[in-house]
Amino acid sequence: MELSEKLVRGEGRFVDDIQMPGMLYLGFARSQYARAKILKISGAQLTHKEVNFEVVEVGEGATTGGPAALSHPVLANGHVGYVGQPVAAVYSDDRYVAEDLIDSVEIEYEPMKAIVDPEDSLKREVMYPGVKSNAIVDRYFGKEFTPDPSDIVIERKIINRRIATNPIEPRGIVAAYDGHKLTVWVSTQSAHSIKGGLSEALKMEPDRIRVVQVDTGGAFGLKGGLFPEYVVACYLAMKERRPVKWIETRREHLLASRPGRGVVANLKLYAKKDGTITGLKGEVIVDNGAFTGGSGEFSPMFIARQLAGAYYLPNAYVRAVSVLTNKAPQGPYRGAGRPEAMYFIERLMDGLADKLKMDPVALRLINAAKETYTSPLGMQVEKSRQFLESAIKELNYEKYRDRENVGFAFLILYHATAGGESARIKVENGRLKVWTGGNAHGQRHDIFIKTLLKEELGVPEDIVDVLKGDTDQLEDGVGAWGSRSSMVLSSAVIVAAGKIKEQIGKKHGKYTLKALLEGKWDEYEFFKYDKTESSLGANLVTVDMDSYGRVIVKECLSYYDIGRILDLDNAKGQNAGGAVQGIGQTLSEELAFDEDGLPLITSISDAGVLSADLVPKFGIKFHKSESPLPSKAKGIGEAPTIGVPIALSRAIEKATGKLIVETPIRPEYLLPEEKA
Amino acid sequence: MNPPAFEYFAPTGIDEVIDILAKYPGEAKILAGGQSLIPLLKARISSIPYLVSLSEVKGLSYVDEGKEGVRIGAMTVDSDIENSELIRKKFPVLHDATEQLADPLVRNVGTIGGNLSHADPANDLPAVMIALDARISVQGRNGLREIKARDFFLDTFTTALEAEEVLTEVTIPFWGKRSGGAYVKFKKNTWNFSVAAVAVQLELEGNKCTRANIATTSVSAKSGRMESAEKILAGKELTHEVISKAASEVAASAQPTSDPYGTEDYKREILKRITREAIRKALSRAGEN
Repeated sequence: MELSEKLVRGEGRFVDDIQMPGMLYLGFARSQYARAKILKISGAQLTHKEVNFEVVEVGEGATTGGPAALSHPVLANGHVGYVGQPVAAVYSDDRYVAEDLIDSVEIEYEPMKAIVDPEDSLKREVMYPGVKSNAIVDRYFGKEFTPDPSDIVIERKIINRRIATNPIEPRGIVAAYDGHKLTVWVSTQSAHSIKGGLSEALKMEPDRIRVVQVDTGGAFGLKGGLFPEYVVACYLAMKERRPVKWIETRREHLLASRPGRGVVANLKLYAKKDGTITGLKGEVIVDNGAFTGGSGEFSPMFIARQLAGAYYLPNAYVRAVSVLTNKAPQGPYRGAGRPEAMYFIERLMDGLADKLKMDPVALRLINAAKETYTSPLGMQVEKSRQFLESAIKELNYEKYRDRENVGFAFLILYHATAGGESARIKVENGRLKVWTGGNAHGQRHDIFIKTLLKEELGVPEDIVDVLKGDTDQLEDGVGAWGSRSSMVLSSAVIVAAGKIKEQIGKKHGKYTLKALLEGKWDEYEFFKYDKTESSLGANLVTVDMDSYGRVIVKECLSYYDIGRILDLDNAKGQNAGGAVQGIGQTLSEELAFDEDGLPLITSISDAGVLSADLVPKFGIKFHKSESPLPSKAKGIGEAPTIGVPIALSRAIEKATGKLIVETPIRPEYLLPEEKA
Repeated sequence: MNPPAFEYFAPTGIDEVIDILAKYPGEAKILAGGQSLIPLLKARISSIPYLVSLSEVKGLSYVDEGKEGVRIGAMTVDSDIENSELIRKKFPVLHDATEQLADPLVRNVGTIGGNLSHADPANDLPAVMIALDARISVQGRNGLREIKARDFFLDTFTTALEAEEVLTEVTIPFWGKRSGGAYVKFKKNTWNFSVAAVAVQLELEGNKCTRANIATTSVSAKSGRMESAEKILAGKELTHEVISKAASEVAASAQPTSDPYGTEDYKREILKRITREAIRKALSRAGEN
């Protein structure tokens, strides 16, 4: 049975479905304050005194070697930096009792004035003694330049506020220890990331840790990471020699997981009067949160480097900053810097078009890169003009332009292909077992893996078992994020299959399916790839507004270059799901805080996730320019979360005449004045 | 999602319900549809040592037409009210509200008694019952008493119910022949609470409004009548100007607070506009009769 069918039938086995004899349930007493000293803890079973490990960054956007003072302790070390930070742990063999124990932990605090706003953080006192600045990253990209005095300038402050990743299934782990080996079952995007992170955090030899990915109910970047709760669960399993389970509640997810976005840009775009852009200056400020351990060290640089969009930008000088705030560490969320960068440049392009009274799509055409080049900010921008020409045609822009409130987005999606990926194919008793470094966490990896094996080896789909990530079955691996699976994972499968074919050829003279299935074969391939690939995309969105300023998204169309289409249904599903998230980010999703850093969103009903009645009609067309990889495919996962907020914001601008520079757009901003 | 421990009772008669409530004053709570209570327990926002379910008490689910009005049993689910032809015809304001209440899954389980007793200022039915001049029957150790809906809601999550009392029935009196009402609710996503909602019930004589009740949802600590606005309508022909004036008065008398659903000013502005819409709709329905 296909994985997706199994899950829809309710036959999935998620981490909370795991039951083991003697299992302990772990719970966390969490900070009530955004910033405070801890004076006293009573009633806790585990505190920093005993469990003094630190979180290790893994997954997309992981960096190492940040300032040590900023590392996230798994349990608070004398002070807290955000509401929801784990302070102490409790456990019981009864899940209800474990929850009761959380309520019985008493923590005395000495509250301090929280740092909430990222720009304010740069003006405030340093958050920690011994830290020089609240900017944990402060770098410049590009080169200072002197703009032509006759150039037009568009200056904007543009904000993408923080949002929760909100997969249907929250975070969760089960850990067990037999006296030598620690085994972990986890809802994740990468078994190997978790293994590496645990090994480093717990200072354990890697071969004493096995990580198994169970069915994973959505992840969106979040679940590539290692979390304080996971380290504590493993520690407790080893200490008590009993299996330990921790399952996140939705409230914990909203308070203390790794939210995405949270970026402010102050940018100036320069252009000639004919619309040719000449330069970009300014700064990008990432709301890092109180500790490292997320992706806040990586994201300002990643965003700054992409700010040329898909255009030819001759000059650029951009400061990339990440600042400490009293919030949970920022993490990757579907796009992880890509949607922010494209939102910033595309909003500037629309602003420039308005100033020059040009059609925004015509302006984009003038500036689309005619040849592939490396932008002054450091990313290779592929030639994009021809693609844009076909996008305009395929999306019927001319038809919509005069009739509808229409917004258009032009984007470049950088795939996280660097690092490559692994695959293992084992043939035994007439069946094939496949393990890969990245795995489905809501997609359908099993479908395209079976398609490729059918092509490469001629095996029917029903004798192939695609298994989940398991570090004991697969030597090494990276993970599923950044549009990489369709590109490097699929290539690893193709190469591994080729190796088996070659062996059979050597042994039997030529490859036959019979030889394959009657023999025993086992091939592991780590497909190495160092380059960051990219692909182009465009979105078109139309809206109407009701008399209360509510946005009715009418049509949401995509035109993406995904190279060879490995699985059409999966591609369509990625498009629809990503577009819904893009609309949510633009209209309603937000993790808001008050001036004391207290979260205002603590329930899923307030988190702004779209309800089905607000989901528009989707359309998708594909541009198929094959990638240089063996699979010939390109990625799609992040394209809609990049393009849809841009096109939607522009469509709303057209419908209301109001400048849109923030997501989500606050409802009061869109309320139309009444005609007298 | 594991609530604190509680003891669960499912008695079969109202007297037994009252006995249990009396035995644990202030510690026992009625479980009707559970659409608010269970989430509160699961998220450990509330801890209730004794839960008394009404699910086994027979005869509490009905919508009956009597001589003076319509009686609705406390355990009647929202969707039964939504689907009642009688309610749609006689009290469109209540039909409007049940039709927009949360989502169909909640409406199939949530009850009128629970919706009113919980007294969440974001619940839809308190404002509707106040606007309709409904009476709420409650039963306790000293027998049955009736409380006017307008006197029932004391504060957020606080009603006139005594600790050992249980809401058993709601009576909506018939209004005059030329009467009508409307409930207009403003929310963003389906599963959001409303930003604001308003219930209006009017009665006409000739071209004048003789009786006007207005009550709001989500914009004050409790649902209550907007008497200053009602006075603007009463005795007058409901011209565009009069309606606008009353709507502005409703917005001015409400006490919304700024939160992620919108600023205080935004909520007042929305309330003004939906009140105008509700009065016009109520007027047109009253005029059709």
